[in-house]
Amino acid sequence: MIPLEHYLLISAALFCIGLYAVFTRRNAIQVLIGIEFMINAAVINFVAFSKYDKAKLGGQVFALFAIVLAAAGVAVALAIILNVYKYYKTIDPGKIDELRD
Amino acid sequence: MLACGAAVIPLLGAIATYTFSKRNRGSGIAIAGSVLTFVLSALVFYTTWDHTAIHRQISWFTIGDLTFTAGVLLNNLSVLMLFLISGISLLVHIYSAAYMKLDPRLPVYWTCLGLFCFSMMALVVADSLLLIYLFWELVGFSSYLLIGFWNTRQAAVLANKKAFIINRIGDIGFLAGIMVLFSQYHTLDLVTLFSDHGLVASSPRIGGVWVGATGQLSQAWLTIAGAVFFFGAMAKSAQFPLHTWLPDAMEGPTPVSSLIHAATMVAAGVFLLVRVFPLFDQTVLLLIASIGTFTAFMAATIALAQHDIKKILAWSTISQLGYMIAAIGMGSPESAMFHLATHAFFKCLLFLSAGAVIHELQHHYAKSGDTTDPQDIRNMGGLRKKMPVTFIVMTIAALALAGFPGTSGFLSKDAVLVSAFGWGAAEQNVFSVIPYLLFVTSLLTAFYVARLIFKVFFGPAGQEELHEAPAPMRWPMIVLALCCLFPLFSVNPVSFESAWIMAGFYLNAVEAGAYHTYVPVLVSLGGTAAVFFAWFCYGRNRSGNIFTDKGMLYRFALNGWYFDKLYLAVFVKPVVLLSRILFGFDKKVVDGLVNAVGSLGLSLSAVSRWTDRYLVDAAVNGLGSISKTIGNFTRNFQNGRVQYYLLATVAGVLLFFMFTYFL
Repeated sequence: MIPLEHYLLISAALFCIGLYAVFTRRNAIQVLIGIEFMINAAVINFVAFSKYDKAKLGGQVFALFAIVLAAAGVAVALAIILNVYKYYKTIDPGKIDELRD
Repeated sequence: MLACGAAVIPLLGAIATYTFSKRNRGSGIAIAGSVLTFVLSALVFYTTWDHTAIHRQISWFTIGDLTFTAGVLLNNLSVLMLFLISGISLLVHIYSAAYMKLDPRLPVYWTCLGLFCFSMMALVVADSLLLIYLFWELVGFSSYLLIGFWNTRQAAVLANKKAFIINRIGDIGFLAGIMVLFSQYHTLDLVTLFSDHGLVASSPRIGGVWVGATGQLSQAWLTIAGAVFFFGAMAKSAQFPLHTWLPDAMEGPTPVSSLIHAATMVAAGVFLLVRVFPLFDQTVLLLIASIGTFTAFMAATIALAQHDIKKILAWSTISQLGYMIAAIGMGSPESAMFHLATHAFFKCLLFLSAGAVIHELQHHYAKSGDTTDPQDIRNMGGLRKKMPVTFIVMTIAALALAGFPGTSGFLSKDAVLVSAFGWGAAEQNVFSVIPYLLFVTSLLTAFYVARLIFKVFFGPAGQEELHEAPAPMRWPMIVLALCCLFPLFSVNPVSFESAWIMAGFYLNAVEAGAYHTYVPVLVSLGGTAAVFFAWFCYGRNRSGNIFTDKGMLYRFALNGWYFDKLYLAVFVKPVVLLSRILFGFDKKVVDGLVNAVGSLGLSLSAVSRWTDRYLVDAAVNGLGSISKTIGNFTRNFQNGRVQYYLLATVAGVLLFFMFTYFL
């Protein structure tokens, strides 16, 4: 039996890697990948904690919904990135800073 | 009111000349004004002489409850002076037109001359001491302008400064006299003060106290008042010890010397003394007589040794003014006025003749490029044949100066001498020498004037192409020469008492006695002897000069008894030294103090500048820069980068959690 802490540690590591990717990548696609990392860290948490709900497996169902939503979100995000690229001729989020003061 | 007109016309003329004249045009206006003045003066003289005095005045200004008046007083004294001044100034104007013809600053000359005539005539008709003082100053000022007329000459500039300063010294005396009289009587009106029953005559002197209308002063003040008035007259009439300006004043143009420094301005002092005559007490009269006599004698000895033709005449003027002053001091102002009138004519003529000689010689020297001094009588000689008219008129004037019978000078000089001997007989002590000194002076006068004539007109002729002066210069001289003869003054050529001027001023009868007979005879004989002696020395044989140029007495006289040097050493040098010391004091102490205060202020302001910059400004700037730093810091967050915003958000959430959990 794999103890819960291992799941949580992997999930935390995945989340941190994702967060780091979101913060540091110079490519919007990679940032998107970082976001997927973080979502999946959350999904692992859902799945791990579902062992306390063995009757309804609410955690696993929530995980499935989250995966579907993440897939939909990725589709939207990629569309946005495509449009951003068309407009700015770059997908480096550091260079798209028109909101600055 | 004609008199006012007569006095004011020269001023108008002066202004008109100054305003309208281009070159040489000024002469016409000036002479026309002069003629008009003379006609008016003659009318005034004719209507007023030997009539009751006319006195018109208006209220001038009021201080407190004292009203000062201004007006004209026409009595015998003032109309005589008016007539005399306007007559002589007319002749001198005509003469000047030719003499100054080539001068580029001719309009300025006419203007100054007009100003002088105005002030002089206003002075004689003024009715209050304040007005007289005013015009007295103006006369001094216009004289200053005219002495320095050739202002490119260093000597002329020095001379006019000297004349002005010495006259100012005298003015202090006059002013002090006015103050004493004013504090005693509270009025400066001449009629109120000095008429026969005026305040001065009617204020009693009891037991050392001088009782006036409004108060009383110690009798010493009466003496002081007289003495300071005399001091004022001393400067104007060039009496010892304030005489040194007059010889130097000869730097001015010759017509100016003639009009101002021989005939009119220098007579102002005598005129003033006659005006205030009732003021003088016994002490002052004695002082006046002594000073006058001493001046007459001293100036005559100095005139003996001079070489400059104008200097001789200048010293002679001082000497003759001494006569007049002495006559006043001996209580005979009428003979002083008589001598003033005759002297005005003959001394004016002497100067004009000298001017004619100088004028011709100057032209001659200028033509031949010679640098010989045209005023030095040692360079002259034999002009008798070249300039016969000048010779004749100058000889007449010289005879009048020497006091020969048949001339006006004979009458007036005898009037002075006879009254002097009459006065001297009453004196017991050392003052009884005064008449004899005056007598000796008259002999000296005859000698020096004879020397002048012989040196200039006799002896071998030098210059060939000299000729007579032009007509505008010649005619005034001829007119003046006629005025130097007796008929103008008296029908009887030997009796001065029949002279109308003497009759017009009959203040008190001259105690003639035996002197009346033998004084004129002695003067004439002595004068003749002196002239023959001069002929022996200078005329007959020019090399037989018995006076060497080396003698001590000669040098003493040539240098004017060393008064100039004495004054230089005693007054000028100490004053200059004192001024230097004061200047040093000013520079070191006063300026030092001021500079110290200045630098103190400077350092104070440096301190305050430092405070401002490093404390006040620092606070303000500090606030500014703090907010700027904060602003810059917070601004960094708004960099538009999505990842950065996210990082900030996460960091903020983390911080929040840290706070929540660990604190």
